[in-house]
Amino acid sequence: MTQLIRDSYRYRELIWALALKELKVRYKRSVLGFMWALLNPAFMMLVLTLVFSTIMRFNIPHYAIFLLSVLLPWTFFSQSLSYGSEAIVSNGDLIKKVAVPKLVFPMAALVSNIINLLLSLIPLALLVPLMRHPFYWTWLYLPVPLLALAIFTLGAIFFFAAANVFYRDVSHILQVLLSAWFYITPIIYPLDAIPAKYQWIFKLNPIIYVINGFRLSVYYGQLPKAPSIIASFVCAFISLLIGFALFKKYQNSFVFYV
Amino acid sequence: MSELRVASGSTVIRVINVTQRFRVIQERPDTLRELFSKLLRHQSSFHDFEAVKNASFDVPTGQAVAIIGRNGSGKSTLLKLIAGVYQPSSGRVEVKGSIAPLIELGAGFHSELTGRENILLNGLLMGYSKRDMHEREQAIIDFADIGEFIDSPVKQYSSGMYARLAFAVATEVDPQILVVDEILGVGDMGFREKCFDRIRNFREAGKTILLVTHAMSDVEKHCERAILIDHGSIIADGVPREVIATYTNLMSPEVVGAH
Repeated sequence: MTQLIRDSYRYRELIWALALKELKVRYKRSVLGFMWALLNPAFMMLVLTLVFSTIMRFNIPHYAIFLLSVLLPWTFFSQSLSYGSEAIVSNGDLIKKVAVPKLVFPMAALVSNIINLLLSLIPLALLVPLMRHPFYWTWLYLPVPLLALAIFTLGAIFFFAAANVFYRDVSHILQVLLSAWFYITPIIYPLDAIPAKYQWIFKLNPIIYVINGFRLSVYYGQLPKAPSIIASFVCAFISLLIGFALFKKYQNSFVFYV
Repeated sequence: MSELRVASGSTVIRVINVTQRFRVIQERPDTLRELFSKLLRHQSSFHDFEAVKNASFDVPTGQAVAIIGRNGSGKSTLLKLIAGVYQPSSGRVEVKGSIAPLIELGAGFHSELTGRENILLNGLLMGYSKRDMHEREQAIIDFADIGEFIDSPVKQYSSGMYARLAFAVATEVDPQILVVDEILGVGDMGFREKCFDRIRNFREAGKTILLVTHAMSDVEKHCERAILIDHGSIIADGVPREVIATYTNLMSPEVVGAH
């Protein structure tokens, strides 16, 4: 773990440059360029707001904000994993020719997606007053779930990026896993919608605690309770420990399989 | 084997009993389905291949060493071991000082980024800081001499322009050890001259150079030592003229056999 911190710090400029490169390449040759990072979530919000305020009505006021408060972090998580699981494979040419710590590639995938997430919070912040939803001071708490989510995601990226080097099925399995995971996580519905006697099953889901932090602070204007915060960080660090241990164990063999 | 030149100064590269084994798999199970079907049938269709076998040598500071040998003899594997791209299967590689690996043309260049952006990225990949690279940017651009192409994506470059920029970045960062792998074959004559000028400067500055090439005239002209590698083993190590002679014999076994 000290290796992770030391190398990330030592190669911070490289990680940052690689992350910017990824964003640059993603938006290259589009007229609006970087603006898409803002427009994409904005259009998604527009559609969701229209659909859920006119066509499908729930008993939840301001459903769009209820949904987006956790859908944006979820999108960050699933996109980070989709990109991140390819982090080693897609940089194979580089790994074969330059001696560089392999962990910079998963780190760069994380950083570029964090930038995207932060940008996508801007349209959400604009939507809140637009829908006459109160703007709670608990927004200030967001860095805490953001940190937990970033750590959790980083661990998962390390895990899948390493596994994908040896078996390319992993990236396909990941897509299936992510779409199933989406529905068993209270994103489009509240946790209360689950019958009380089954709720303990849903609480085994490691991402539920951090997701809860986002929804509470943006939609309900509350702070999560201490056990929930602790649980979110425990899950995050377990993810990072497992993911990085696997990555570290096999990183010297990557060069033979990419 | 001819006698070795007496080492001048301290050793910068030390290769100790290094073996690099590759698992050559006729049909590597790329997917889980293949893996399961292979496991069920108890098949293992691979063999181990030693690209470098038990190689040992030292390179003292300031020496220009050519590594020669046929295609597939293990030259590039040896360079990659020294550059740290591979961790040896057994043995040890010790390198003192910064090393600029030009393992392949523009390794680390991203085709969508401009030349200027790639200078920074490539420098960071080699372990230099952003500040280092900004200080050297102009010198790199001057040396590469590719005009306004510096602000175009490198995918629009000719292979010669690519090589010029790659060579400029790798040498302008002023590494203690320069590793050049057959990169010089691409540039035109003017640029080759410039490159060899620079290699001469490097040598005068007391820096270490490892050169992989098939051009024997370059070996004799620019290197004071040559290492011949064949089927992964070092079979000659000494003054270029003699090592080249061994190599020439190796390439025409029928001539040797006629004796």
